[in-house]
Amino acid sequence: MRRVALPIALAALLALVALVLLELLRPAPALTQAEQAHQIAGELRCPDCQSLSVAESQTAAAAAIRSQIVDLLAGGQTPEQVRRHFVERYGEWILLSPRSPLAWLLPPAALVAGTGLLAWWLRRGQSGATPIASATASDGARSRIRDEVEHLDV
Amino acid sequence: MAGSLPRRPRWPLARWLTVPLVVLPLGWLLFTGLGRDPTLIPSPLVGKPLPSFSATTLDGRTFSSAVLAGRPAIVNIWASWCVPCIQEHPVLMETAAKYAQRLTMVGIIYQDTPDAARRFMARYGDGGWPNLLDTSGRIAIDLGVTGPPETFFVDAAGIVRAKHVGPLTAEVMAQQLAALGIVP
Repeated sequence: MRRVALPIALAALLALVALVLLELLRPAPALTQAEQAHQIAGELRCPDCQSLSVAESQTAAAAAIRSQIVDLLAGGQTPEQVRRHFVERYGEWILLSPRSPLAWLLPPAALVAGTGLLAWWLRRGQSGATPIASATASDGARSRIRDEVEHLDV
Repeated sequence: MAGSLPRRPRWPLARWLTVPLVVLPLGWLLFTGLGRDPTLIPSPLVGKPLPSFSATTLDGRTFSSAVLAGRPAIVNIWASWCVPCIQEHPVLMETAAKYAQRLTMVGIIYQDTPDAARRFMARYGDGGWPNLLDTSGRIAIDLGVTGPPETFFVDAAGIVRAKHVGPLTAEVMAQQLAALGIVP
């Protein structure tokens, strides 16, 4: 069991790390201003509806934010500055994906810790398996057991 | 009892660590997380200068937030379709009647038509403070508004001291006014 579980866990972890690296190292495609605006709108939470991005929502507030994103980009602001513009007004709440590094680091850390715990637990089950203390019953005890078993009310 | 082994946990340390490492954080998370109102958003504007804005008022004049300087101010975001706004309106009316000489009040009409806003005023009372038409919705965004009623309490230096989300009560108003140095 351990011989299979540990390599599988390690392979899964490696695959995850590789995926994250691949995503991080992928060159960002050059976007037009409209595409940039749409991308930013997709990252912002619509203030007057639940769980929708500004890009998806049909509310007046979302429309106003979309038009302001376009204006800010046209005014020469970078996408990061545009995002900060809204964070300064609404707080980090407006961002659909959290900025706090903890939110990103905690799940992989939990995965590593869980894998480690599992490996440790499986190993413990193998090496630490002490046989059940063999019962060395005396002849008297044996006959008594046989006796009691025979008289059991079943 | 020869050969019987005491059934002691082989990893007592691990068991003891379960409590502080798993149970306590989980309990804390549930305790704080479930009690929180997901609609309540602390405003990042508190402690910062009120964003400047200018717009046309309901009665056709131009208003600039520059006139707020020098006196404490109350900025109230409301709409005629907003039911809690009806509820808090008497509190605003009373504040205007009592302290019009000591503070500036300004309303910002959120996602509404001028006609509907005028009807609201006719029905529930016009306190005489300017009400701005935020036709583009930009003022509300600059103030980080998520939904009316929202009220900003601004000190004489133009710094946002508090933001109240939801209908104002007489108690909240008295408390916030006292924080701005306005006491009866």
